[in-house]
Amino acid sequence: MKMHKIYQGGHEWIMFGRDLHKPEKIVDTNQYLVRSADRCLLIDPGGIELFAPMLAAVLHHAPVHEITDLFASHQDPDIISSLGLWDQALPHAKLHAAGLWEGFLRHFGCETIEYVSIPDNGGVISLGSVELQIIPAHYLHASANFNLYDPEAKILFSGDIGAALETPNTPIFVDNFAAHVEKMRYFHQRWMPSNQAKRAWIERVRCLDINILAPQHGRMFKGDDVKRFLDWFEALQVGIAV
Amino acid sequence: MMHQGHSKSQFVAVASIAAELSAVMNVAKDISLAAANAKAIAFRAGEKAKGFQPITDFINELAKDTIQLVVIINQKALQLYQLTIREHRLAEACEQFENAVALCDAATYADSLTQSLVLVRQRRSECQRQFPHLVAELLALLSDVMHPARAARVIAANSRIEASQAGEYMQSLQAVAESVDNAAQIIHDKVQQCRSALSQIHTDAYFPSTKTFS
Ligand SMILES: [Fe+2]
Ligand SMILES: [Fe+2]
Repeated sequence: MKMHKIYQGGHEWIMFGRDLHKPEKIVDTNQYLVRSADRCLLIDPGGIELFAPMLAAVLHHAPVHEITDLFASHQDPDIISSLGLWDQALPHAKLHAAGLWEGFLRHFGCETIEYVSIPDNGGVISLGSVELQIIPAHYLHASANFNLYDPEAKILFSGDIGAALETPNTPIFVDNFAAHVEKMRYFHQRWMPSNQAKRAWIERVRCLDINILAPQHGRMFKGDDVKRFLDWFEALQVGIAV
Repeated sequence: MMHQGHSKSQFVAVASIAAELSAVMNVAKDISLAAANAKAIAFRAGEKAKGFQPITDFINELAKDTIQLVVIINQKALQLYQLTIREHRLAEACEQFENAVALCDAATYADSLTQSLVLVRQRRSECQRQFPHLVAELLALLSDVMHPARAARVIAANSRIEASQAGEYMQSLQAVAESVDNAAQIIHDKVQQCRSALSQIHTDAYFPSTKTFS
């Protein structure tokens, strides 16, 4: 599991991914850790196959008792099928996830972790000194779906929006937007069901000051590439399977 | 990603118990029906089937007892299944925590996992402690459910004798006796299968998993 610090200020953001040991037929995912003075938030902790390498990687940055919060953008197995194991590892943690998905996510095992339901209009996750905004991104692609925005670090964690499925050795940032588009097109057209939902999300996200747009798969977008992505996505017709 | 070979066979064993039990339940309901049917025939036969009438009540009682016991056994089997899932999850957690420790290659906070690992091991041995007790309870209940089945076979034999004196109703009453006998035999066999599936978990499937604690 590779680790990259993508923000260092009063708190830090660490990106985990590009796991060379992951089983071949499983999609590569990015996990993110937000570390404040004494608390950590694990964003989209990943699939069950990734649990041990992910936990091992996290132990380089924080002790388990400081991992107090988990966030799941939606219910997919690549996001959170490791929940049952985190549930045994973390003595007192909360899972922030859509209320709509609670009955489904609990299938993964959630006995000691407290399930904090996110309402449809989002909310905040507070890590003491750091506050992250939960931004609704419904139907992109899951019916209840959220992004996380950190106004201080100017990072938007965008879940499957902006995702590209790439090889494990890919760089972590987009360096040639025009070339990157082809890796995203079909994924967004096929996985994202609603043009209306897409427009609502773009409108909402355009109001945020974003330096890094961090998806759950593939490369992150930085600086001007964030705007390029929003423009490209706005013009894209999605929901093509019907 | 099964942590150990035994888990799979344990799940299969517990699931097959549930399957046998639902078959027992169906057969017991069949007996109930047969009893109601026999009662109607005996009523129509009047004097000729006088000896048969109390037998039908007996058969009905036995079917009821069986159904009641199977309901309780089902609850216990469900508990056993849940315990199996829990043990499986804990075993998986133990293994994954150990993997993480091996992978993290002296990370700064590697030691912070120790407490969780100890806790998971404790929870797991608690499951393992409960397991044989629950199996023993189930085995006892399963041997209880054999009693009505055995009694039903004795009654079926009596029914045949009574049926032979029922004139033109002889054939239909004999058919009732026959079906009760068959049903009792099936229940007996199914319960026997449950017991052997259960003893298998108990003896060779469960205990190898304790090796991590030796
Ligand atoms: Fe997804
Ligand atoms: Fe995904």
